[in-house]
Amino acid sequence: MKEKCVIRVALAGNPNTGKTTVFNALTGARQKTGNYAGVTVEKREGKRSYGGVEFTICDLPGTYSLTAYSLDEVITRDFILEEKPDVIIDVLDATNIERNLYLFLQLQELGIPMVGALNIVDQAEAMGIKIDSRKLSTLLGVPLTRTVGTKGIGTDELLDAVIAASQKLILPDRHIFYGSELESEIEQLTRELSTDREFSAKYAPRWLAIKLLEKDANAQEKLIGCRNRELIEKKASASIRAIETHFGRDAEIVVSEQRYAYVHGIIAESVMRSSGNFSATSEWIDRILMNRILGLPLFLLTMWCIFQVTFKFGRYATNLLNIAFAFVTTLVSASIPAGIIHSLLIDGIIGGLSGVLSFVPQIAILFLCISFLEDTGYMARAAFIMDKFLHLFGLHGQSFMPLMLGFGCSVPAIMASRTLKNPRDRIITILVTPFMTCGAKLVVLVFLAGIFFGGNEGTYVMIIYLIGVVLAFLSSLLLSKTVLRGELTPFVMELPPYRMPTARGIAWHVVDKTGRYLKKAGTVLLAASILIWAMVSFPKLPYEAAGINGHSRTQDELAYSVAGRLGKAIEPFVKPLGFDWKIGISAVTGFAAKEAVVSTLGVLYKVGSEEDQKTTSLKATLLADKTFNPLVAFVLMLFTLIVPPCIAALSIIRAEIGWKWLGFAVIYMLSLAWVLCFATYQVGRLAGWGI
Amino acid sequence: MVIVIINETVDLQVRDEEIMETIVSLDMLKKGERFRINRVTHVREIGKKLADMGFTKGVEGLVVRFALLHDPIEIRILGYNVTIRRAEAAGINVEKISAVLPAVVTQKGKR
Repeated sequence: MKEKCVIRVALAGNPNTGKTTVFNALTGARQKTGNYAGVTVEKREGKRSYGGVEFTICDLPGTYSLTAYSLDEVITRDFILEEKPDVIIDVLDATNIERNLYLFLQLQELGIPMVGALNIVDQAEAMGIKIDSRKLSTLLGVPLTRTVGTKGIGTDELLDAVIAASQKLILPDRHIFYGSELESEIEQLTRELSTDREFSAKYAPRWLAIKLLEKDANAQEKLIGCRNRELIEKKASASIRAIETHFGRDAEIVVSEQRYAYVHGIIAESVMRSSGNFSATSEWIDRILMNRILGLPLFLLTMWCIFQVTFKFGRYATNLLNIAFAFVTTLVSASIPAGIIHSLLIDGIIGGLSGVLSFVPQIAILFLCISFLEDTGYMARAAFIMDKFLHLFGLHGQSFMPLMLGFGCSVPAIMASRTLKNPRDRIITILVTPFMTCGAKLVVLVFLAGIFFGGNEGTYVMIIYLIGVVLAFLSSLLLSKTVLRGELTPFVMELPPYRMPTARGIAWHVVDKTGRYLKKAGTVLLAASILIWAMVSFPKLPYEAAGINGHSRTQDELAYSVAGRLGKAIEPFVKPLGFDWKIGISAVTGFAAKEAVVSTLGVLYKVGSEEDQKTTSLKATLLADKTFNPLVAFVLMLFTLIVPPCIAALSIIRAEIGWKWLGFAVIYMLSLAWVLCFATYQVGRLAGWGI
Repeated sequence: MVIVIINETVDLQVRDEEIMETIVSLDMLKKGERFRINRVTHVREIGKKLADMGFTKGVEGLVVRFALLHDPIEIRILGYNVTIRRAEAAGINVEKISAVLPAVVTQKGKR
């Protein structure tokens, strides 16, 4: 054996096979995460030293197949084709061996040495499934190791098998027999593809031949690099026609069927099953949780609990953080003389940091709950329960979770949309989530309703909530019918047996998601909060000019600042909504955090010194103000609901779906807000509501 | 009754035609009914996805349950559970097995 050699391993397998537990057992703590180039699919890599060999192990996305329809599947196969790992480990769920072998056979076609990890063998045996792994290994032509990832059993044997596989110079020429009709077509295409040496060294010709018969769009694109492309394309379409006339079915379906037929043959020879072989515990739990009548209330109860835990406990933790920040602020105040640096540190940097960190407890708690539900297998059931209703509006069963969480805070809600696998469903969900009234918007709503709709404030806040929900659903319906119209995507989703999650797996999720938030949103949010601080503070008003006309100094300073000027500049646009420049500024500062709308209004409408900030006096001022009346207040509530969310949420939208969709979201929300507020104000004024 | 007789008198041609009559789409089945897949009529992404998940000719399955509004449907095939929407089930032609077997029993009992 070579000394100090490096073996690059790709870890593949179906979802819910315990692939991640095998990955953890193999690599221990030596992991790092990133994204695959250009996409937001997570990439995990780990290292391991064993037997004098250094292993780098890449955990590929869990997939059922290797078609061109799903991003995860394209990433998996492109990684293998382009990176050419030394060995592929395919994690096979022993309780569900047929569907797992279906992927295995496809991976084998990529022409890389393989090792199979027969995982969860303990559960399979308990369910009465006996796998003759020696026989199966012979039939497949690859070494198989029995593993139990959660207990770390079998990892050394697996690595031994990987070392042995990497040293084999010639691959056993073992592949599926697709039946004589298909085989003759595959053979012809393979021969033609092999004539271009350079090309066939890059992509295994037999694999590409099969993919072409499957009408795989991605494989057809790859063909562009081939010398005799036109001839091959012609041959491929002739072959497809021949197959379709012979079988009377779509060629890509025929290929799948033949593959499954081969799998059934292998299973018949190597697997013994006693009757039943389905998890009795899972069945029993599902009888309650998935009950047609009880399922929905139980799901809503679960969601309510998560909501309470996240935002209630989160608030305690946030309050503790705020106390800590207040302490730091006093320290800074005491040690640095008042002035621009003092203000930058306190209002800009410390204020921004506390804004960033105040979300951390909520995100951590939320992802603790979500990964628990996901790892147990309940999340797929929740999607099953909610799908019909959400599908009517162009959403997906799994959109419910983010939408629901949107009532707390859009930031974790948008991050939670990662459970949606289909990009289209995910984009729609993310775009409409901000319409769910978040906790910070609620502060503004309660503040305004409390002043102008005293005694009835609950009703008016409720109306705004309902408008938000209606807008979310109508928007998703609109988006799914227009910009995001696409082919109907299948809702074919596995309901895995319930499994107890490992503490390690959950801890990893929480740390990863929180870290991701801090890295991505944190930097943008901090920069933005400093920017807004600068806009509110500069340019400085000359001292003599302040405090005239009974205005306070703060008011005049704000009016003189960039933010104030911006407010005045946008006044013509907000005038038709019944707003003046002061409300305009509030809207601008609302981008930093929605609560800032209240504090800005407080500063702008206050008479007297800035220390005297009691709501009672502000209430009196607002009630006495000419521009403000119940109608304007209601329109402002509506405006707050619909305008783009705070910078934290916007930066998360960008991180998840990119600048293009962020731009779309901002324009869509601004124009929707303007149109609806304009209509409400004008109709209201003519009807004489609240004037 | 006809089915029983034909099952016993082995004329392959006739038998195939009889089965054609008992073929229904998967969404017509009730909870707890077993089936054997005859043909998936969906094409492209949905057809391929169904085939990848094991919905291929000859595979047997069971309707486990429905969601509140009868949609989606939970199916057990190849030893695992999967959910599909009604619209997807409508394009899967199946042959009921549970309905045939008890019929054989009752017919024999009557004789």
